[in-house]
Amino acid sequence: MKKRVLAGMFLSLSLALSACSGGGSAPSEQAKPQDQSQQQEQPQASAKTELIVAAEQEPVGFDPHKVPAASSVRIYSLLYDSLTKLDENMNLIPHLAEKWETSEDGKTITVSLVKGVKFQDGKDLTAEDVKFSFERILNPDTGSISKSYFSSLESIEAKDPTTVVFHLKNPDAAFMANTSSASTSIVPAGSGDLTTDTAGSGPYMLEKYESGQYVLLKKNPNYFRSDLAKVETIKFQIMKDEAERLAAIRAGKIDVSMVSADSATLLQGKPGVEVKGYQSLEYSYLGINVNKKPFDDPKVRQAISYAVDRNQIVQTVWKGEAALTGPIAPAVKGWAVDTNSYDTYKLNVEKAKALLAEAGYPNGFETQIDTAATYPDMVETAQVLQQQLKAIGINAKINQLEWGNYIDVWKSKDGNLMVGRNTSGVDADRSMRYFFHTEGSANVWNYSNPAYDELVQNALMAVDQTERKAMYEKAQKMLVEEDVPNLFLASPKNFYAVRDNIEFAPSAAGESFALVRASIK
Amino acid sequence: MGAYLLKRLVSLIPILFGISVLVFTILHLVPGDPASIMLGTNATEESIAALRKSMGLDEPLVTQYLTWVGGLLQGDFGVSVHSGQEILPQIIKRFGITLQLTVFAVLIGWLVAIPFGIISAIRAHSKTDIGVRVATLLGISVPNFAIGTLLLLVTSLYFNWFPPIDVVSFWENPVEAFKVFVLPATTMGIVVAAGVMRMTRSAFLETMDKDFIRTARAKGNSKWTVVIGHAFRNSSIPIVTIAGMQIGYLLGGSVIVEQLFSIPGLGQYVLEAIYQRDYPVVQGGVLFVALVFVLVNLLIDLIYTWIDPRIKY
Repeated sequence: MKKRVLAGMFLSLSLALSACSGGGSAPSEQAKPQDQSQQQEQPQASAKTELIVAAEQEPVGFDPHKVPAASSVRIYSLLYDSLTKLDENMNLIPHLAEKWETSEDGKTITVSLVKGVKFQDGKDLTAEDVKFSFERILNPDTGSISKSYFSSLESIEAKDPTTVVFHLKNPDAAFMANTSSASTSIVPAGSGDLTTDTAGSGPYMLEKYESGQYVLLKKNPNYFRSDLAKVETIKFQIMKDEAERLAAIRAGKIDVSMVSADSATLLQGKPGVEVKGYQSLEYSYLGINVNKKPFDDPKVRQAISYAVDRNQIVQTVWKGEAALTGPIAPAVKGWAVDTNSYDTYKLNVEKAKALLAEAGYPNGFETQIDTAATYPDMVETAQVLQQQLKAIGINAKINQLEWGNYIDVWKSKDGNLMVGRNTSGVDADRSMRYFFHTEGSANVWNYSNPAYDELVQNALMAVDQTERKAMYEKAQKMLVEEDVPNLFLASPKNFYAVRDNIEFAPSAAGESFALVRASIK
Repeated sequence: MGAYLLKRLVSLIPILFGISVLVFTILHLVPGDPASIMLGTNATEESIAALRKSMGLDEPLVTQYLTWVGGLLQGDFGVSVHSGQEILPQIIKRFGITLQLTVFAVLIGWLVAIPFGIISAIRAHSKTDIGVRVATLLGISVPNFAIGTLLLLVTSLYFNWFPPIDVVSFWENPVEAFKVFVLPATTMGIVVAAGVMRMTRSAFLETMDKDFIRTARAKGNSKWTVVIGHAFRNSSIPIVTIAGMQIGYLLGGSVIVEQLFSIPGLGQYVLEAIYQRDYPVVQGGVLFVALVFVLVNLLIDLIYTWIDPRIKY
């Protein structure tokens, strides 16, 4: 038996190696032996009522106000509802909030709730629950990361069972957009710790959580949107290894799985599986500590920007499956600036050298790029940057850190250069103020420009959308062309592998948005 | 014997105490903070502080250690700072899965290794022997993630067979459980087999040279009667020793195999906790594994006395 296994190993060594490394050359040969037999395993369309989604990570509790981990968000966003949602084009659409009105001075927002919505335990969802939920988010003891979204919120008033009034300290144009996040879900008034307990109003109910194995969700029969939640049960199957997920989806054991760009290429054209990609809200960046010498000189930072060929990063790291990006990812269509308009995005080594010389570093310098070893794309990005910076005499050492360690360094505000990934928020305010305002909690670059701060603060308070857009454009240009506290590199596409008997359309609106609309053919 | 057993069990106390101090210290020396990892780069200082407080991490280290050990002495392993789940029931549940996987892997390994090891020794330097030795070398050299990935790909792509994705135990449904565990157990079994096969071969080579074997043969016993009746028991001590070590290691959870086949065993549980800096889980898990390792070794020592009655404690 052992010998047979070993013989089999030899025969397929090349096959496996290519699959292990995700290399794209061998996949067409790999598929052949399986193609004919694949058809027999097709599940019966009529009998199937369960959608199996691969989960790469174990969820870490289901409290929407406490846990920002993606592995938890994808589940609790099906268990709870938020006031609003964003559609696939990042337009704000009503959800629990049927409609809302902003007062003339911009400081009062009156929200009308949809009537007749019930929590899964049968209680009515009322304005009191909305008030409780927002107060819970604002309570420092909750430790909600969404608290920072609502710094303008002064008080909440439950006017009648279906009317909530938000009183703001100052006008906040991003306020309603921020209520679309699943981490601002409405929970029942009086809720305690929701880590393991759940009682939302969402389209699905938590049926069973088998730690290390799966999370089973059952359709909420009384869901207020009868047009949504078409599938009876959704099972998140925890599968941490990409090779296993690929084998499972090809064998028809799972229906939906997020896959890397490499695996997407590998699965392209395989029978029974469709690969669906969309432009994500994420972007990769090179963060620069503007307090540290020599990076305290904007000329040095501009030089780095001119020396970096972002297209090479798109091609090498993301295999072409990414778009150039500014401080706001291109998927946030209404706010992103066309990167072609940026002079600093055009590779210009001579200009970079000249700028370095002007700053007093004609021969370049030595430095260090910190990045997270946990994410191969970040390491590869750092390597490409290392090569490109050599051309202008900057010799960067790459320091790969384990994720927990990386976060420590990130928080310390004491690095030199750092490669990472950010997610553009649901509103331009998130991408601009949170990451780059002097007081912004994710501004770990020590970047501080009063003109910039004023601009994004005014943009937040601007009621007129055209005016607001112009301000954000100006602010984006300020970051990209003048101050350069970050280099915005590439916004990757995300990919899902989906069995061909499943209707599932992933988009930047998020996985849960697609799951409640998914169906089995 | 009774006194020996008591002595060994009492010696567990300093061992476990030492391990508890060691694992606690090392874990808290490792950079990275559970609250910041959980909240990621989106966190605010305020939210991290609130979470640290709710996790009990704002207390001084000594207090944290004493609280933890105090709980342990009352059989309370605490709760995961991450998922809020009780740790002990999780450890027991996952250990049950790891135990089944280990037993299955060891059975596969031994069933292959012992017969082939014996044949290899009896027919030393024959073609069979060379074949077995090459296979052994391969089994030891090829890393188990490569074997596992290959098994998974070959069965799913060429035989269109994929193991069931939900883990069931042998007590619930032996047939399903067999399907769940066969690939990971084979992956681990290959490595087990390689080690045991080598040891079996060398132990038998040595025993077969002994005078009493020649005497037994001279008395007219057939070769196989001698091998089974005389040589086997006398060669068992080193084989049992290495098998015991292997079982001890495997019961700690085979991290790579569990990860690859999504087997929610102890190894995966502790590994995940290390990534998340889920201190109580790692501490409890490591302590539990240490206890199991020491107990397995004790058991092996006791088995010696049964194999060779001359050994007395």
